[in-house]
Amino acid sequence: MSVPLLIIGSGLSGLAAAIRYARFSPDVLLLEKHARIGGLNSFFHRNGALIETGLHAITNYAEPKDKKAPLNQLFRQLKLNRKDLPLQEQIQSEICFPNRESLLFSNDFNLFYSQVVSKFPRLTAAFDQVLAAIKAYDPFRARPFISTRSFLSDSIRDPLLIDMILCPLMYYGSCSENDMDLGQFVIMFRAIFLEGMFRPRGTIKDLLDFLLNHYTAFGGKIRLNSPVVKICHKDKKVSAVELASGEVIECDHLLSTIGYRETLRLLGQDTSHESLTRLGFIESIFRLPVSCRQELPLDRTIIFYNQADRFRYERPHRHVDFNSGVICFPSNFHGIRPEGYFEIRSTHLADYHSWKSLQSSPLLYGEKKRESSRRSVETIEKITGNFRNNIVYEDTFTPLTVERFTAKLEGAIYGHPRKFKDGLIGYGNLFLAGTDQGYLGIVGSMLSGISMVNRHILSAL
Amino acid sequence: MTRNDIKELIMEIIADIDEDADFDSLKPDQPLRDQLDLDSMDFLDIVMELRKRHKLQIPEEDYPQLASLDSCVNYLEPLLKDA
Repeated sequence: MSVPLLIIGSGLSGLAAAIRYARFSPDVLLLEKHARIGGLNSFFHRNGALIETGLHAITNYAEPKDKKAPLNQLFRQLKLNRKDLPLQEQIQSEICFPNRESLLFSNDFNLFYSQVVSKFPRLTAAFDQVLAAIKAYDPFRARPFISTRSFLSDSIRDPLLIDMILCPLMYYGSCSENDMDLGQFVIMFRAIFLEGMFRPRGTIKDLLDFLLNHYTAFGGKIRLNSPVVKICHKDKKVSAVELASGEVIECDHLLSTIGYRETLRLLGQDTSHESLTRLGFIESIFRLPVSCRQELPLDRTIIFYNQADRFRYERPHRHVDFNSGVICFPSNFHGIRPEGYFEIRSTHLADYHSWKSLQSSPLLYGEKKRESSRRSVETIEKITGNFRNNIVYEDTFTPLTVERFTAKLEGAIYGHPRKFKDGLIGYGNLFLAGTDQGYLGIVGSMLSGISMVNRHILSAL
Repeated sequence: MTRNDIKELIMEIIADIDEDADFDSLKPDQPLRDQLDLDSMDFLDIVMELRKRHKLQIPEEDYPQLASLDSCVNYLEPLLKDA
């Protein structure tokens, strides 16, 4: 079998890339390792309930009239209509550093601005200066790494405010420890504070089904349960991929959304010498009856917290670092009314290697998982109020779980610390899209798939 | 295709990209980009639609020829004379 375009991975970047190409030519095949599409953003069924994984909130909210906004560009490029996919905006979110300071923000930037100037009045001019620089900055121009921390501390002379600004931006899309590239910072600041957060009205399954139907309606093809075990290449050019079944599929172009190192492995390159730190996370989901919803904050969509002196976004030296994290209320969006049950989700930084060392002992692994979930509850209850007695179902995903289901090495959802903005890794007809290309978040990863197809494949046809 | 057919074709493709595009005040000799708020991604769509509908292969160096409605017609007329 031979296809002009082969795409590995049916996460949101792979799906978007596939739809983009199928719009103009149906000769594209999407390969998915698992029985289900979605990659990092997926779902499972438990006790008759659909439980989402990945998706907290989607950043980059924009009104339909704002044509140049990334969200609307995405719809336009994929020939999707906003009317077919109702989006629900966040209520408001909080950056909470207990006993120190709290900043609220919503999809109206004025809220965040007024919070900063009322709580850090001495820093008003400095904050204005930073905002002006963010608005003027072109994050898509290629340039070497610029430290966001040193950029911010040039004007904002208070580490607390710097940590508070960075906390949500790092948790929602930084693959590197403690600092981030200024371009990435500008993208994330715009995506979260200037644009804002939303979610689809339906579940992540509805969104994935909607995208897949759109793709197949254009004539695009997909194969589930089809792990690629090898990329065949000669003279720095890809000729085919080999599936676990032994089947070989030839292709003119190959787009890989599985990550840089993950792709190198399929090319047969040794990646074991690489020592860059990959950040892992642990996530817990707690399901509760709606009757106890009133006892918890109804007007918080996401809470980003940090209770340590300084916010440390780095790989912990133990299984989990509970000092900081993200608390998400998936039912606290405008226009969403949970029926029967609702969920609270928590995310913390975790160390893949600590969890890996428990893998050989299922008993210890299970015990550590339960302990981590319990400690997560204890920690976040200090912010949300108590809910532990009402939990009817809970589950916890360690970096090992994430690695197993998403195929991201070490469960590092934000991928490799170095990004490949042009999608090129040294092979003439092989391109990266998604996590390791560098646009993060759901809107970002979809635009990554689209822009790599535009740049390398459509314009070369 | 006549010059007018080509004009209609281009406007139809643009309307398909952006349903709110306003053609009433469009000046055919002025850049489409500024008047209709199109970006480079949209131009790629125009090129791809021409390829899909009429099997036209437009090399990247010729994209500037598609700048205004008039220049589109001038450029496409010989290519679509038998269409």
